[in-house]
Amino acid sequence: METGSYRHCMPRFRLLDDRQIQRIHHAALRILDEVGVKIYHQGAVGLITGHGGRAKDGNVVQIPAFLVEEAIRSAPSNVLIFNRKKELAMELGGRRIHFGTGTDLPKTVDLNTREIRDTLAEDIIVSTKISDALPQIDFIGSYGLPKDVTPGLHYIRCFQLEVENSVKPIFFTAGSQEDLKTILDMAAAVAGSMEELSNFPFLIHYAEPTSPLCHSEEAVSKLILCSQKRVPINYTPALLAGATGPVTLAGALSVAVAEALSGLVIHQLVRKGAPIITGVVATSMDMLRATPCYAAPEFRLTHSAYADLFHSYDLPIWGTAGCSDSQFPDLQAGAEYAFTLLNAALDGANLIHDCGYIGQGFIAAPEMLIFADQVIAMVKRYMKGFAIDEDHLAMDVIRKVGPGGHFLVEKHTLDFFQEEHWHPDLLNRESLEEWTKKGRKTLNEKLIEKALHIAKTHNPEQLPGEVKTHLDNIWGETQQKMRR
Amino acid sequence: MVDILKEIYQAVVEGKVEDVVAGVEQSLNSGVTVDDILNSGLISAMDLVGEKFGEGDIFIPQVLWSAKAMQAGMELLKPHLMATNQRGAGKVVIGTAKGDIHDIGKNLVAIMLEGAGFQVIDMGVDVEPARFVDKAAEEKADVIAISALLTTTMQSMGDVVSLIRERNLSSLKVIIGGAPVDMAFCREIGAHAYGVDALDGVKKVRELLGR
Repeated sequence: METGSYRHCMPRFRLLDDRQIQRIHHAALRILDEVGVKIYHQGAVGLITGHGGRAKDGNVVQIPAFLVEEAIRSAPSNVLIFNRKKELAMELGGRRIHFGTGTDLPKTVDLNTREIRDTLAEDIIVSTKISDALPQIDFIGSYGLPKDVTPGLHYIRCFQLEVENSVKPIFFTAGSQEDLKTILDMAAAVAGSMEELSNFPFLIHYAEPTSPLCHSEEAVSKLILCSQKRVPINYTPALLAGATGPVTLAGALSVAVAEALSGLVIHQLVRKGAPIITGVVATSMDMLRATPCYAAPEFRLTHSAYADLFHSYDLPIWGTAGCSDSQFPDLQAGAEYAFTLLNAALDGANLIHDCGYIGQGFIAAPEMLIFADQVIAMVKRYMKGFAIDEDHLAMDVIRKVGPGGHFLVEKHTLDFFQEEHWHPDLLNRESLEEWTKKGRKTLNEKLIEKALHIAKTHNPEQLPGEVKTHLDNIWGETQQKMRR
Repeated sequence: MVDILKEIYQAVVEGKVEDVVAGVEQSLNSGVTVDDILNSGLISAMDLVGEKFGEGDIFIPQVLWSAKAMQAGMELLKPHLMATNQRGAGKVVIGTAKGDIHDIGKNLVAIMLEGAGFQVIDMGVDVEPARFVDKAAEEKADVIAISALLTTTMQSMGDVVSLIRERNLSSLKVIIGGAPVDMAFCREIGAHAYGVDALDGVKKVRELLGR
């Protein structure tokens, strides 16, 4: 037996050392204790002050460190997410990485005409089908904000279209607590009951505090409802350095972490052990255009830093990657997808969202879901590392072939080539001759072809008829309520 | 198709050398014709393998193991083919160009050719033009196949073609391949064919020999 050596190597990455983690943690605790957070929700203010927090100026609440540290301890370190059929789909915790799309993109690059137009309900169906078919997409966001659905109803409608067109877990937003209740009614109809939904959650609600250091009434009411119902929630801020947070990365990070942790405190005070996923976005605001950067290198630094910090808390971690600032699926988008996806994987984030985004969180391009899927597969192969044991050191076959021979028809080659070497299905590795013969297709063209093909041919597993009717009824009632 | 031929066919597709050998032996003993074994068992199986490879469904190591299985079957058929005076697929002398010891592409082609039923005489690496031609004449080969990786060594391919002309070996064909080589260079030196990759090389050799 070989001892004292690793038999498998894997890429390992960490940005912060233990003392740096402690420094950021202490800074966030100081912000909460000295500066406090503004909470536009009297119930939550009372909850925190009732447990040792201090209110000043009405709704600004200073939170002592012990409350934060209690919340970190009581929150589960592993959150189980199921699919629509109650099969385990994701174990959010440790360094287990999962990838999925984002929500609410108002514009879409049309697959046929290539124009950038308003997102429509039909786009939600198409992107859900594509995501359902892609092996590397683990969870599904609406990936759009449909213009042809009555404003105020689009979150509900999106959820319905998603759950009808994919069995995968759904990552969803909601406009208000009422929206959220309706969506949970739909989800409970799918699961069989609210109790079943709590036991086998196939959805994660996404709500956010508002930087700097504010919690809106809507956001907190959704946070509380999810905690009460044991519905997993992702409660994470998006801070712009130099605008809604300090311009320096350490300061921006500390403020964003304070926001996330104060949300965690409220959530855990409502119901200890309720499932929550935390993390932050602390990115650059472009100082020429005042736009939020989705792929800035500084964003990757704060991403790695908070991942190290939340790993030290042993809490499930949100992530952002596979997204681009570019307005069109071009070289910039390709580079930014690869850079961000590799980085998020190295960070060991558990719920990596926004795959398929372009245009700074404004534009959907369905073929980019397929591109993200390819890059994720490549990144996962890299993250797998390689074995360094007798079989993989291959001395026997090296000896057998000897100098000047070849390994092409060795059993060893046949046995290991597929597990040792990843093979892309769309990235181009053809010879010039073959590529020319096949019509000189660029990756962009192949992605669009595949997107159209999946949209046309993929048949997601259907909901049982009575469940579908139930959802239609809820949707009908919701529309009627809206008209009144 | 007789069941045993189906088994041979399947064993070739799956690259199972021992199963092919057992199947061919059993077929010969039970009186299946050599023609049937060759065509319905071995060759049609390799056709499917080539097709699957072209579609990207299987990979090079799997193709090579099928070729190896096919070759093992062929060895058993050889004495019978000679006895019935049947022509084999053809004879190919293969090697890398003078000065070039990069032989992985040449090896790939050699295995594929054998898999397609050709008799292959592998001259190895760094082969002088005269050695290619001498050997081909001596063995009454149909084709000389030359591979090069370097732009500096590919020039000697033309010398082989010239030598063949000098010696009036007009039925002897030359096929070339390798990273720096292309169709234009093939025409320039007067070679008879150019293979883009190993599978294409086999196809071109077949075409050269009208088979």
